[in-house]
Amino acid sequence: MEEESGEELGLDRSTPKDFHFYHMDLYDSEDRLHLFPEENTRMRKVVQAEMANESRGAGDGKAQRDLQEEVDELVHLYGLEDDHELGDEFVDENIPRTGVSEYPPYMMKRRDPAREQRDWRLSGEAAEAEDLGFGGWGSAGQCQDLREAYRYTHGRASEEYECYVIPEEEDEEEAADVFCVTCKTPIRAFQKVFDEHKEHEVIPLNEALESAKDEIHKNMYKLEKQIIEMENFANHLEEVFITVEDAVAMADRLGKFLKTKTDVEISAQPEFEDQTLDFSDVEQLMGSINTIPAPSAPVINPQVPNSATGSSVRVCWSLYSDDTVESYQLSYRPVQDSSPGTDQAEFTVTVKETYCSVTNLVPNTQYEFWVTAHNRAGPSPSSERAVYMTAPSPPIIKTKEIRSCEEAVLICWESGNLNPVDSYTVELTQAESPEASGVTESVVGIPTCESVVQLQPGRSYIIYVRALNMGGPSVRSEPATVHTIGSYFRLNKDTCHPWLTISEDGLTAVRSERRTPARELSPSDTHFTRCVAVMGNLIPVRGHHYWEVEVDEHLDYRVGVAFADVRKQEDLGANCLSWCMRHTFASSRHKYEFLHNRTTPDIRITVPPKKIGILLDYEHSKLSFFNVDLSQHLYTFSCQLHEFVHPCFSLEKPGCLKVHNGISMPKHVTFY
Amino acid sequence: MALKQISSNKCFGGLQKVFEHDSVELNCKMKFAVYLPPKAETGKCPALYWLSGLTCTEQNFISKSGYHQSASEHGLVVIAPDTSPHCFLIGGCNIKGEDESWDFGTGAGFYVDATEDPWKTNYRMYSYVTEELPQLINANFPVDPQRMSIFGHSMGGHGALICALKNPGKYKSVSAFAPICNPVLCPWGKKAFSGYLGTDQSKWKAYDATHLVKSYPGSQLDILIDQGKDDQFLLDGQLLPDNFIAACTEKKIPVVFRLQEGYDHSYYFIATFITDHIRHHAKYLNA
Repeated sequence: MEEESGEELGLDRSTPKDFHFYHMDLYDSEDRLHLFPEENTRMRKVVQAEMANESRGAGDGKAQRDLQEEVDELVHLYGLEDDHELGDEFVDENIPRTGVSEYPPYMMKRRDPAREQRDWRLSGEAAEAEDLGFGGWGSAGQCQDLREAYRYTHGRASEEYECYVIPEEEDEEEAADVFCVTCKTPIRAFQKVFDEHKEHEVIPLNEALESAKDEIHKNMYKLEKQIIEMENFANHLEEVFITVEDAVAMADRLGKFLKTKTDVEISAQPEFEDQTLDFSDVEQLMGSINTIPAPSAPVINPQVPNSATGSSVRVCWSLYSDDTVESYQLSYRPVQDSSPGTDQAEFTVTVKETYCSVTNLVPNTQYEFWVTAHNRAGPSPSSERAVYMTAPSPPIIKTKEIRSCEEAVLICWESGNLNPVDSYTVELTQAESPEASGVTESVVGIPTCESVVQLQPGRSYIIYVRALNMGGPSVRSEPATVHTIGSYFRLNKDTCHPWLTISEDGLTAVRSERRTPARELSPSDTHFTRCVAVMGNLIPVRGHHYWEVEVDEHLDYRVGVAFADVRKQEDLGANCLSWCMRHTFASSRHKYEFLHNRTTPDIRITVPPKKIGILLDYEHSKLSFFNVDLSQHLYTFSCQLHEFVHPCFSLEKPGCLKVHNGISMPKHVTFY
Repeated sequence: MALKQISSNKCFGGLQKVFEHDSVELNCKMKFAVYLPPKAETGKCPALYWLSGLTCTEQNFISKSGYHQSASEHGLVVIAPDTSPHCFLIGGCNIKGEDESWDFGTGAGFYVDATEDPWKTNYRMYSYVTEELPQLINANFPVDPQRMSIFGHSMGGHGALICALKNPGKYKSVSAFAPICNPVLCPWGKKAFSGYLGTDQSKWKAYDATHLVKSYPGSQLDILIDQGKDDQFLLDGQLLPDNFIAACTEKKIPVVFRLQEGYDHSYYFIATFITDHIRHHAKYLNA
């Protein structure tokens, strides 16, 4: 039980603990009183003791007997018989009392003396406690006051108080008149003779009361002293805080001062220059003040992989000693591989922690970092220099040059960085599934600015590229979308004959009426010179590819495929490196040829196709042509395709033809 | 009608059979060959009719053309009837003069319904091929009656073309090897038509592909024709494909005509390109 421990502690120790005043109960609501009857009991007992003291103190003039009686009354009144009963009492206080008759007689009895007690109780020191006014029992307001008084008193009391708790006494008729020190209980004089109190020391009650009162006063005094000490401590703490604040401000100012370039020419007068000033006194003085030494050099950590962004790095260091450090100064500058003559700007940051995120840096750049520790005595030696690197800028995908087929995509991009990076990463995610699915596939360690990635047919993918260096990866590039339906390619402007114009989307070739003079082109030129043709950039992946070409009925054209190194000075189909379907319209007659190595089978087609479907099948070494509108098969070449070929288109007369991409193979084509 | 199985041989997983029956149109016993692909065991298959050329029976095609592998792969039932009634077999209709020439009479039915005596009773190959035989096949074999195509060689090519042109929508596709395209203008045709149909040339046009095309109203046809460049009959002017092509060009009937360098009129030529033709038909029959 709390009060028992309190008693023991109170008896054994004279000094209360330092930081124990702010007892929780001080802030308790009134309600707490009846929830914890034990505490209430303890409180009451303290109050009881005080009041008992008071009653004794104030009522010096009164007959001791009266006091005794009153004490007894108080003893019973303030709950000594039974803790639980007392708890009930307080609980019961909440209930508005209708009739007094509800309560057992002894309670009634107590009430009256309480009222009597009230008046003289209000005098004296302890009267402060009762300032709130003790309502007698029997009314809510009185209960309220009582509670508040108890609360206040309790707050000033603690377990460590020496509480002379006057124990329960069944017998209330006989008042005690002496005090047994040993048992700490008032007893009747005759009891001294008998029983347990035989050997015990006994003192008169009033003496006991006096000493009890003294004790309490002493404790209160101590408490007050402690309050003062606490306040002092708080003040001191505040001072320290202000000092530290000032120091930091000072350090900041110092840092700023160091950064600013001051071109101040101090022209000292000659006489001053020659003077040697004796600073020894000052030094001594300084030395006596600053007893702490300057710190030892910090150790700067190497860069944590993948910790950088394009514009910032996180630099960390450690201090392997017990030195006092007030701040660190981190300095850096870009690593230069040029001659030492060119000085790069040096930057400095002051921090309190052993790490710093340095921002506003240039991507894909190496920076040298070094750090010094500072305290009142001065700076430490500089740490070793560590090189940190910012992550690169993101690459830029060349969306117009994406080539794909049903099983793969070829992506190329611009580095996005002036200097080389270590490698690139391609990230793909399927477009059908929502963003939540995240990246489904990554291809890492790509050394060049292009990559062929395997894909599933009939899907849509979103592709990102990142650049990577030792600082980490860049942010993702802008996305590009790829559909694995059919094959996608663009007409390659680098190959087209000067008389051909290729549209912006890379899918239409136009030959105008006008003839611009064909310039003299060297044989190694990538442009077609004889055949007014252009080549498409088909993805270099085997398997099958299908595309369609829209032509005019009266247009003279050649459509087919050729190896990349086909001789551009020759017509399509005139050599063994190209295959094509040729249509010429003359004298109202359509003539169709299927040319390879200058030879063609004899084929007549009665309905001229307007849209030609072309199937390139690496697997079966076949190239087939179809009339798309009629689902009619026209012709199939058997061709040995030892290397990759590209679609070719040529216009033998002014006109235009349009390429259609991204078409999945029609069913009739699948038979071939 | 009772079918009598004459032979059955397993080939490329399927079965090549020959049957005999009593034909109503032809008034005599007729034989025909049927190939049942592996797929026919489990379901109905499309039907492809082959019409052979002059002097042939149902045996030439099934022995020499090498069509079985392709038919098996594409799951087509291939039916090859005889080229004319063979009355002597039954010992019935002995028609005088029917064996005198190889290009008229026996083995040269020209796929017409003869109107002249003594041919009109028996020589009704057109009706046999377009009516009686399909009904018989549909009733007795696992074929889909809605999916039917026709092709043939030489006289059979002519037969395939006219059957398709005279029955728009009945056949899903048609193709031919060295067909007689314009019989009214070639010696063979003139001989046969005058014999079977009489001298009224207007009746002849009803069985002439080039003429039929000119008045063809009907649904889309996709025609594939292979012609050996070294075919003697081509050089003799018996086949006249150019006329047909010109007519088709004018009427916008889709034709792909391939002149095959070095090939002649024989079954070696047929065997070379039979796979292309079967694929051509499969594209439409299996669509």
